[in-house]
Amino acid sequence: MQEPEGKRSEQTITREAAEQPESSEHLVIQVENVSKVFHTRKQGRMVALEDLTLGVPYGKFVTVVGPSGCGKSTLLKLIAGLIPVSAGRILYQGVEVRGLSTKVGYVPQESKLFPWLTLEENVGFGLESRNYTRQERERRVRDYIKLAGLTGFEKHYPAQLSGGMSKRASIIRALAYDPPVILMDEPFGPLDAQTRMILQDELLKIWKKRQQTILFVTHDLVEAVALADRVVVMSHRPGRIKDILEVPMARPRNIFEIHRQDGFEETYAHLWSIFRHELEIKFEEEDPEVE
Amino acid sequence: MMAESDEVGVSEASWPYWTRSLWINLLRIGVVGGFFLLWEMAAGRWIEPFLISSPSRIFSSFIANIQSGTLIGHTWVTLQEIGIGFPLGAISGISAGYLFGRSRTLAEIFEPIIIALYGVPRTALAPLFIVWLGIGIWSKVGVVLLLTFFLNFFNTYAGMKQMDREYIDLARLMGAKGHTLTFRVILPAVSPYIFTGLKTSIPFSVIVAVVGEFIASTEGIGFFIRLSAGIFRTADVFVGIIVLMSMVIFMNTIAGLIERRVLQWQTQTEHVRIQG
Repeated sequence: MQEPEGKRSEQTITREAAEQPESSEHLVIQVENVSKVFHTRKQGRMVALEDLTLGVPYGKFVTVVGPSGCGKSTLLKLIAGLIPVSAGRILYQGVEVRGLSTKVGYVPQESKLFPWLTLEENVGFGLESRNYTRQERERRVRDYIKLAGLTGFEKHYPAQLSGGMSKRASIIRALAYDPPVILMDEPFGPLDAQTRMILQDELLKIWKKRQQTILFVTHDLVEAVALADRVVVMSHRPGRIKDILEVPMARPRNIFEIHRQDGFEETYAHLWSIFRHELEIKFEEEDPEVE
Repeated sequence: MMAESDEVGVSEASWPYWTRSLWINLLRIGVVGGFFLLWEMAAGRWIEPFLISSPSRIFSSFIANIQSGTLIGHTWVTLQEIGIGFPLGAISGISAGYLFGRSRTLAEIFEPIIIALYGVPRTALAPLFIVWLGIGIWSKVGVVLLLTFFLNFFNTYAGMKQMDREYIDLARLMGAKGHTLTFRVILPAVSPYIFTGLKTSIPFSVIVAVVGEFIASTEGIGFFIRLSAGIFRTADVFVGIIVLMSMVIFMNTIAGLIERRVLQWQTQTEHVRIQG
C-alpha cells in the first residue's frame, strides 16, 4: 500500500481509491470493509478477503486482477450473494445484499450451460421466471442469439456447440434478462488466444449497445487493460485492494491491435509495476531466508 | 479416410456397417437356432424329457395354457403386483432421494438408518410381508414396492450428491425457484441417475414378486412355476420362465423408449462424439 506518491503522479493514470469516494448514488455496488474467512478442515482458518472496500459505478466496465488465490472469485460470489460475508457489508443499488441476488447476471469460468436445455432454452431461462410475455421472451432470445452470431443453432444442445459458441451463449444467457450488473469470473480463461480476442471484441460491442455494468475478474493483465474503464488490482492473500487504475484509452477499441492504441502501453506498464511488486512479496514470503 | 485393417486391429470393423450388422444378426440367429435344435434332439434321446422338456413340448404347452386361460390369469396377477408396487416404489424412492439431497438435516438423520435397512436381504422380508399382508397380491406389492423404493432412492440420492451445485446457484441467480428449480434444473441434472435406478429395479421387481409367490400364494406366475415343478410338468415351468422373460424385456423396452426421449441431450452428445 505504501507506494511512493511521486512514482504514480508521473503516469497518465489517476488513482481512485477509498480516499476519493464517488457520491454514493452513482455506485451500483458498494463493498464496504468486507472480510471473508473460510473454515476448512484441512487448513483451518483461511482469510480470503480482508477489509476490502470498493465501489463500482453504473455503466462502467471494471476489471479485477490479482495473483491466483487472492479471492477475486470470492469477491464475485459475495456480490452475487452466493456466500455470506464474514464482516462488513455489500450494498447493491443502495440495498444490503442478504442472500442470493437475482439482479445480477453471472458468467462462470466454465460456460455451465444447462446441458439438458437447447441453446434457446438456455438463453431464455432467466426470462422464464420474470414477467415477460411469450412474444417478448421469444423476441429477446432471438435478438440475443443473433447478437452473438449463433443463429441457426437455436435447437442445438450445449454438447453440440464448440467452446467459443458455448461461451457466447453463456454470456448472452446472463445478459438476456437485463440485469443491471454482470459479474464475469474469468470467462475467457480456458479458450485459445484467437477465440479469446474475438470474444473480447464481441463482448465490448455487446456492452456498448447495452451499457450494463460489468465486473470482470481475470488474471490476464492485457485483457484487464484492454476491456476496462477501470482496473482493480488485488493483493496476494488475504485479498485487499492494492490499487485502482483508470484506463485512459478511447472507445471503441480495437482489441486485435490493442497494443498500438494510445494509452495502452503506459497503463499496462503501470499495472505491471504494481503487479510485479505483488508477486515479489509472494516470493519473499515463500523464502524468508533470502533477505 | 480409408479404414485399414491394421489401424483398427480387427478386419471386420472396416466392413460397411450394414454388411457387418447383417452378419452379426445371422450368426446370432444361428447360435440360438442351433441351441434349440440341439435341445429338441437331446430331449428323449440323451436326457429324460421330464428334466429338460423340449422346445416343441414347451410350445404346445404354451398354446394349451393360453387356451385354458390359466396362463393369462397368472400373468395378470403378477403384472398387477408389479404394476402397483413398481410405480409406487419408484415415485417414493425418487422423491425421498430428491428430498434427502435437498435437505442436509434430513439426510444426516435418516441416511444411516436407510443404509442399515438396505443391508437386510430383501427376499428375507417377503415372509414378513406375507404375515402382515396375507397371501394375496398385497404382500407381493409390498416387497416389490420396498425393493423398488430402495434402488430408486439410492440412485437418485447419489445423483443429488454428485450433481454440479453450480447449476443450482446459476439457476437461482437467474430467478428460478420452487417448481422451476426442481423440474427444469435439479431433476434433469439427476435424470441419468434416476434412469439407472429405474432400469436396475425392473428385473429385480420381477424377481421379488416371483419369490414372494414361491413362498405363499394361490395365483401368479411364481405360483404357476412352483406348482408345475412340483408335479414335474417341466414344459409348464419353462412357459412360466418365458413369460417372466417377456415381462422384463417389455418393461425394459418401455423404459428405454422413455429414457431415449428424456435423455435426448445425452444421446445427442454421444452422437456428436461418434462423428468426431
